[in-house]
Amino acid sequence: MPRVMRTVWQALLLILGVTFVSFLLMVWFGPDQTYTLIGKNASAEQIAELRHELGYDRPFLARYADFLVDLSTLDLGASNSSGERVSRLLARSTPITLALMLPGFLLGNLLGVALGLAAAQRRGQWTDRLISGLSVVGMSISFLVIIIALQVLLSTPYGLNLFPVRGWQVSDLPSYLLYVTVPTIALLLVTLGYNTRFYRAVFVEEIGKDHIRTAQAFGTAPAVILWKHVLKNSLVPIITRVLFSIPLVVISGSLLIETYFGVPGIGKVTFEAITNGDQPVLKAVVALTAVAFVLIQLAADILYRLVDPRLA
Amino acid sequence: MAADQTLWKRLRSDPSGVAGLVIVALFLLLALGVWFGIIGQDWAAAAGGRWEPAGPRFWFGTNVLGQDIFERSVYSVRTAFEIGLVVAILSTLLGAILGALAGWYAHGWVDGTVLWLKGVLDSIPFYLFVAAVAYALQGEAWAMHLAMIATFWTGTGRLVRAEVMKIRTREFILSARSIGLPDALILVRHVLPNTLHILLVQGSLTFIAAIKTEVILSFLGLGIQHGVSWGLMLAESTQEVLAGQFNNFLAASLMLFALLMGFNLLADALQDALDPRQVAR
Amino acid sequence: MTALRKNLYLHWLTWVTLGCLVTLVACDYAPQGDASSQPGEDAELTVYRHAMDGAPTSLDPAQASNIYANFIAVNLFDTLYRYKYLARPYQLEPNLAEGMPQVSADGLIYTIRIKPGVQFIDDPAFPQGKGRALRAADFVYSIKRHFDPAVRAQGAWLWQGRIVGLDEWKESGADYDRDVPGLQALDDRTVQIQLIAPFPQLPHTLAHGLSAIVPREAVEAYGPEFAVRPVGSGPFRLAEFDSTRAVLLRNERFRSEPFNLTAEGFDPARQAGLGLEKLEDRIPPLTDRIEVEFIAEDAARWNAFNAGELDFVKVPVSQFDQVLMARDPPALRPDFADRFNLAANLESGFVHTDFNMDDQRIGYHPDPDQDARNRALRCAIIKAFDWPKRNEIFYYGIGQVFPGIIPPAAPEFDPNQDRSAVTRDLDGAQGLLSSYGWYASNLPVLEYGFTSSVTERQMFEQFRSFMADIGYPAEKIRALTYATYGDYARAYLNREVMLITTGWTMDYPDAENTMQLFFGPNATPASNNANYDNEEFNRLYRASATMQPSPLRTAMYRNMNDIVIDDCATISGISRRLILLWRREHSLLPDRSFVGGYFFRFVDVRPAAGSRK
Repeated sequence: MPRVMRTVWQALLLILGVTFVSFLLMVWFGPDQTYTLIGKNASAEQIAELRHELGYDRPFLARYADFLVDLSTLDLGASNSSGERVSRLLARSTPITLALMLPGFLLGNLLGVALGLAAAQRRGQWTDRLISGLSVVGMSISFLVIIIALQVLLSTPYGLNLFPVRGWQVSDLPSYLLYVTVPTIALLLVTLGYNTRFYRAVFVEEIGKDHIRTAQAFGTAPAVILWKHVLKNSLVPIITRVLFSIPLVVISGSLLIETYFGVPGIGKVTFEAITNGDQPVLKAVVALTAVAFVLIQLAADILYRLVDPRLA
Repeated sequence: MAADQTLWKRLRSDPSGVAGLVIVALFLLLALGVWFGIIGQDWAAAAGGRWEPAGPRFWFGTNVLGQDIFERSVYSVRTAFEIGLVVAILSTLLGAILGALAGWYAHGWVDGTVLWLKGVLDSIPFYLFVAAVAYALQGEAWAMHLAMIATFWTGTGRLVRAEVMKIRTREFILSARSIGLPDALILVRHVLPNTLHILLVQGSLTFIAAIKTEVILSFLGLGIQHGVSWGLMLAESTQEVLAGQFNNFLAASLMLFALLMGFNLLADALQDALDPRQVAR
Repeated sequence: MTALRKNLYLHWLTWVTLGCLVTLVACDYAPQGDASSQPGEDAELTVYRHAMDGAPTSLDPAQASNIYANFIAVNLFDTLYRYKYLARPYQLEPNLAEGMPQVSADGLIYTIRIKPGVQFIDDPAFPQGKGRALRAADFVYSIKRHFDPAVRAQGAWLWQGRIVGLDEWKESGADYDRDVPGLQALDDRTVQIQLIAPFPQLPHTLAHGLSAIVPREAVEAYGPEFAVRPVGSGPFRLAEFDSTRAVLLRNERFRSEPFNLTAEGFDPARQAGLGLEKLEDRIPPLTDRIEVEFIAEDAARWNAFNAGELDFVKVPVSQFDQVLMARDPPALRPDFADRFNLAANLESGFVHTDFNMDDQRIGYHPDPDQDARNRALRCAIIKAFDWPKRNEIFYYGIGQVFPGIIPPAAPEFDPNQDRSAVTRDLDGAQGLLSSYGWYASNLPVLEYGFTSSVTERQMFEQFRSFMADIGYPAEKIRALTYATYGDYARAYLNREVMLITTGWTMDYPDAENTMQLFFGPNATPASNNANYDNEEFNRLYRASATMQPSPLRTAMYRNMNDIVIDDCATISGISRRLILLWRREHSLLPDRSFVGGYFFRFVDVRPAAGSRK
């Protein structure tokens, strides 16, 4: 009981902290949206009116209190830029981001595990060197370079010209594949290097452990060793990494991909909200990210207990 | 001293590590050259025609304004080092201090606060945080650096905390405490030096992350405001590749790749050389 | 036992995760619940795929001040007037109105009749979901909205201080049920506007998307969401809208007005070969479906056009070399000329760099000697500016450089005016600097503001290199960068920027629209970014503001232009020439100027080429 309470308490503190920091940065010090929303030839009076409408002239604590109340009642309001209800905006952009990023994310991790395992098993041999070398190369190329190069190579007449340059008109499986391929490849190329090297290190450590050598000495089949012992025992770091890289890859990564490939997902929406200072959208996204992060931590905790009897 | 000698010996015997070190050293020389005004000073002048091809006068050709791509690439080495060094050193330092404090007073309120801070910073999506800081500082030149330092310290902090928790129980620490040495002194003179292997590796990894982040931020318009960087060159090149002009793109990408590759190799070699388990063996 | 349980949990977890993923992905290709995508129709649907280099955030006419929102708004809603599709120079003509307005002798009362039988589209906001007939009261309501602070409208400046009783209506609480004496619906089809002083540009303002007519029921039903759920009476209705595209569908209930070539100003000499002749007597809108893609990135837009995903494109400057084989007049290369038609239109605006006259380092100074020195400095900077090079690098040399503030798009433009203000004169510049005691050591630091995009930065660097040629030290020319245009606007509207580079898009073809940019009382936060204030100019402005177009008024405008040039208040200016390409098999004359979005209804698409890939 107390343990559950403590976790919940910590989660609440975390959410409070995140909302406070984001409120401070993005709302209090954030861009003044007045000047994006006024038309030409505004008078000082009109500007003051708009600022009042947008709530800029109220004191800090009052606005922060409002913010918290809105969050707890899930009253997310409407975007200042377009008037669309924030809940509707999130509901239509989040699935798009997930559909866009998940294939690359999953493939990046699956391939990373496979390659890392292959390298760890043949440690020191040419396979290992090749894979390790390639992963260092992968880690040294900028995301931006990959995106630009892929677009030129796959989507323009200078290259293969097979895929659309940008956009997201997805209505069925073929069109989904058409639009998701180039972003998936980009995401794969960016994350594979890091993933492979990480998983390789995990597996190397695991394979070097005594119980593996014992099993080998006992003559257990290599496949069984692989699945029953190596993989299962490495699950903790694997799960940790997958779960904790979700915010970075899916949320931050989606920003660049969505902006460049013109996909109307949550990353692009958030970035535009930041640069425009569209506070209702910002509040919602940041709060939800915090909540998601906390939930992920909880999920990781539970999974550990399930997977590793020592932690139960 | 013996540890240093071992480190150097181990590094020297690792060919890829040596390669990395050499590459980084070369780039560092370029950066120093720019700092001291010897090379890369003509990055702003629109001296040539538009999109001149590579030739004896302009080694990498010119961009759309007629600026020398070679000069701009070299100046960008300085920008990269500035950002990389500032962010790497300060964030590693911050991470070391906060991590050590957290580990030393583990499970106390100091530790709780530091962990909470880490959790908060990790929860906010990175580019959102940087953009927000950039606005909060009204476009100050250091906004980007501050934002990076504020988020990158957590990685180092986490590792240092774990290490300090282990060191805390070692005999020589226990004896230092029983003599009555103040905590601060113990931390600075005995504990932190034993985390150096972590700090070195983390520092080099942060350097890499800082440069990569600056590239993307400059592309988004949130990066450096004065001078030139590979990120800005890549942003320019997105227009130019459309017109079939690849010089700007290739120059920036290849130099960026070379520096990152060098640093990655070096970081790897450092990690292998400093791995306490291998050193102990 | 434990191991088995663990296995089970893992397997369960795996299947649940996979299930979630599949569901999520499946959600994305659920068909859009829309009456438009019925299976049988697709085969015969004509589609026109347009691309804009920016995105509107709101489709509410009250917020249609930028060109992108305006484009879409005039297709979803009706305005009283519009511009003739084909007539150049641009000419006003009735859209929703029955004829040009009846104006009283003193020019203060405008009476406008609205065409009969105009219907709003069906929408749940109306009783029984059926769209009702549009009434004059709707026009009154739509204009009132601009004066209601809760609407956050952007068009008040067009009618502020001009319509009797409207400002008072706002002061006393913006109650829509209260009448405004100067804005009346005399009956269901008659609008009467009473002005405080003559306002010759009034009909032009009624052709702007900001004046488009909205139904009160829908606005009240949807609140702020009306901006993404528009309900209008225009030739199209909205099927989809997000930050990457908008899809417009033909409004079946749009009033039938057969197309008439002569009425639209067709010029057989200059507009032959576009396939427009065969549109005669057909009833707009001529296309079933219009997909407007918002692609700000030049690279992506050009690639999409080349890959056949678009029917129209505004060609990015970096591609002009590839596309054009001659510049003056612009002509397409043969491989492009086979497939595409070309329109090389001057934009309806111009780009200029103003000096902040309110800043004593460069502008007005209480001490007359220093004031003269500042003026000399400004004039020297203007003389050092290399317009041909600016034109060449950023506008491919086909932009039109002109002196002063009357751009070529304005009817009052003088093609024969003296061009010394845009001719580089390094000797003259240096002479000015030395005679007024300016040296490298005492020159002020110039703070040049711009948003941090690649092109803007390059323009700054080019400016700095221009100044280097008269000995202006590079360290004394500093960049003030802003991450977004909103930030930049905040800065210059608060007078924090010394050199302000902006582009102004004209709202109507009348130079009054650019003259007001230098009218003293219009100082920031209004549009006079230069904070220019000249007594003679102000006097002439006030006098000409109530005059109908005439040679006398044109002479006054040109006089005012000379005053601004003489005071060296601005480095001005250049109008970009846009290269517009579209597929030859489609019949249209696209426009990004005053006709703007109004041309969509006249686009005729050859079905075979227009159907989706």
